[in-house]
Amino acid sequence: MSIALPRAGLIGERLAASALLIAFAGLFLFFALSAPAFLTAGNLKNILVNNVAILGVVAIGMTFVVKSGGIDLSTGVALDAAGFGFAFALTAAIAAPLAISLGLAAALVVGAVNVLLIARLRLNPFLATLALLFIGQSAQRLLTGGGSPIYLGNRSYADVLGAIGRSDLLGIPTPVIVLALVAALAFVILHRGRLGREISAIGAAPEAAHYSGISTTFVLARVWLIAALLSGIAGILLTATVRSYIPMSGNGYLLDAIGAAFIGTTLRRDGRPSVHGTLIGVLLLGVVRNGLLLIGWNFYWQQVGIGVLVFAVLALSYGLRREGRH
Amino acid sequence: MTLAQTEITLPGPGPGRVRAWTATLSGGDVTRLVALATVALVFIGFAVTTRGFFTSWNILNVIEQSAIPGILALAMALVILTGGSDVQTGGIDLSLAANMGLSAAIFAVALRAGWGEPAALAATLGAGMLVGVVNGLAVVRLGILPLLATLAMSNIVGGLELVLTENTVIPATSPILNVLSAGSFLGLSSLTWVLILVSTLAAVILHASPPGLRLYATGGHPEAARAAGVSVGRLILGSYAVAGFTAAFAAILSVSRLSASSTGTGEMLLSILAAALLGTVFSRRGVPTVAGTLIAVLFIGFLSNGFQLKGLSSNWVSGVQGALILAVVAATALNRRKGG
Repeated sequence: MSIALPRAGLIGERLAASALLIAFAGLFLFFALSAPAFLTAGNLKNILVNNVAILGVVAIGMTFVVKSGGIDLSTGVALDAAGFGFAFALTAAIAAPLAISLGLAAALVVGAVNVLLIARLRLNPFLATLALLFIGQSAQRLLTGGGSPIYLGNRSYADVLGAIGRSDLLGIPTPVIVLALVAALAFVILHRGRLGREISAIGAAPEAAHYSGISTTFVLARVWLIAALLSGIAGILLTATVRSYIPMSGNGYLLDAIGAAFIGTTLRRDGRPSVHGTLIGVLLLGVVRNGLLLIGWNFYWQQVGIGVLVFAVLALSYGLRREGRH
Repeated sequence: MTLAQTEITLPGPGPGRVRAWTATLSGGDVTRLVALATVALVFIGFAVTTRGFFTSWNILNVIEQSAIPGILALAMALVILTGGSDVQTGGIDLSLAANMGLSAAIFAVALRAGWGEPAALAATLGAGMLVGVVNGLAVVRLGILPLLATLAMSNIVGGLELVLTENTVIPATSPILNVLSAGSFLGLSSLTWVLILVSTLAAVILHASPPGLRLYATGGHPEAARAAGVSVGRLILGSYAVAGFTAAFAAILSVSRLSASSTGTGEMLLSILAAALLGTVFSRRGVPTVAGTLIAVLFIGFLSNGFQLKGLSSNWVSGVQGALILAVVAATALNRRKGG
């Protein structure tokens, strides 16, 4: 579509595509100038560990789903499933590597249900994952006697949890390394490989993809398993970081992950999701949250501020793109 | 695939007769029957097995409790039917529940500050509608995805509610609130009457008036609607504005019910969304309708109520709700594919 645009339109489109980057850079600069504590190594690390790493992994999973034309409201369920599986296995004195595998397997069970419902039965992803979200809430209440957390404060878990949540390699915290690896791998799969092209085709024109010989079922199956696996990794990271499994805490990431993935779509002229776009979306949310805190806004005003800023970035980007079309 | 199926099954006397019977019902009809039968079965099941379920007091009670979620679900249905039902780009208002929370807070705070009732009502309804108008402008004028624009808006609105109430419950009393919370007419409570009136109004506008037809045309095929002279943009903007106004209206009902503003209203969002989406399976063409939405809301209401009366742990409620949504949706999808 963008090929047929007149030249004058292209400038607007280019501007629209860079609106996100300009907004991010502007906000970063603003906070750096107005909050002395913002631009310090310690604080930047804090943003990456506490605001970016876990959300980033979840949001990249969401990016796969959105790219394939769907949406995943059950991402928190997969995250919680992994957290529960991992925490439960640890309390049952199961060795750490096996406990992690069990956690990820639990997340993949959620993914497999989505594969059956969405890839196989072709149910509307919105409805199917919404139903799963409700079922996940019940399941967690029933498994935890009404929603009581599993605390892993016992010293015997400290080594394992510390190794995942609080260790670092050459000064880079482990959760950030995990995010970097996930992002790099996701970038290769989604933007450089055949699977990525097929996912993209299904998202853009499912009928055309089907008739050009792409096996929609198998491609979608992989999309939903990847999304669940990434939510699962995030669940393990979260459990290790907060040293407990808290039922239904995964839902806290749902709206931010959707937001980040769709904010990321403003980065590209065709308005399609991308791994790098999503990462910038996650960074934007993280920087704003942290920055508003540092300039002294209380929690309530932070929420308003994040909403307004996200709204402004979207308005700028979509508005410019629209100008370009006229 | 469906083409091949019909070609094969057309001749032949045996299966042909069975087909002839189903052929008189379109896929949409079968779907609707399956969905309605599921609801009826669940209702009858509770009525037979649960003491106290099938009593006029209990049934009226459930309907009254369904008034606020029902009105919000109708607002959601309006936005979805006007904006189209595409998963990513269709109409949706994720700020609806948060808007109700903010509006309730505005109403309670205005009354506490000594505003007169008319002024407080006007401020509340105006603020709710303003949120809707901003949503609508973002979607129509700027072309932001509804999912995204209303998500950001729900953050803003939810935050403003917290700023206003500092996350506390603000008590409120006024004459109109008393009428709404304690009044009754012909044995039905005020809230029940409000639900009936709002539903009737919505049904008349959506299903028996030219504007209603234009709204469905806008959601079903915007290009065709535009070609036929429908001002698509204005109708979509209007749907968000009305939804915002409705959220504020529901907020006043909520303040009357609780005699206070309440925190955590945003959590209602998913069940409102579930009701509006589930409601589409009760319509022939799979679009949101007033009757379908009401059936879905009452269904969810009776389900939770039945579980409560049965003494089942409330931990089960949302799971069974989810499983039933799934069952109905799956049955619908399979049927639609078979029916073509």
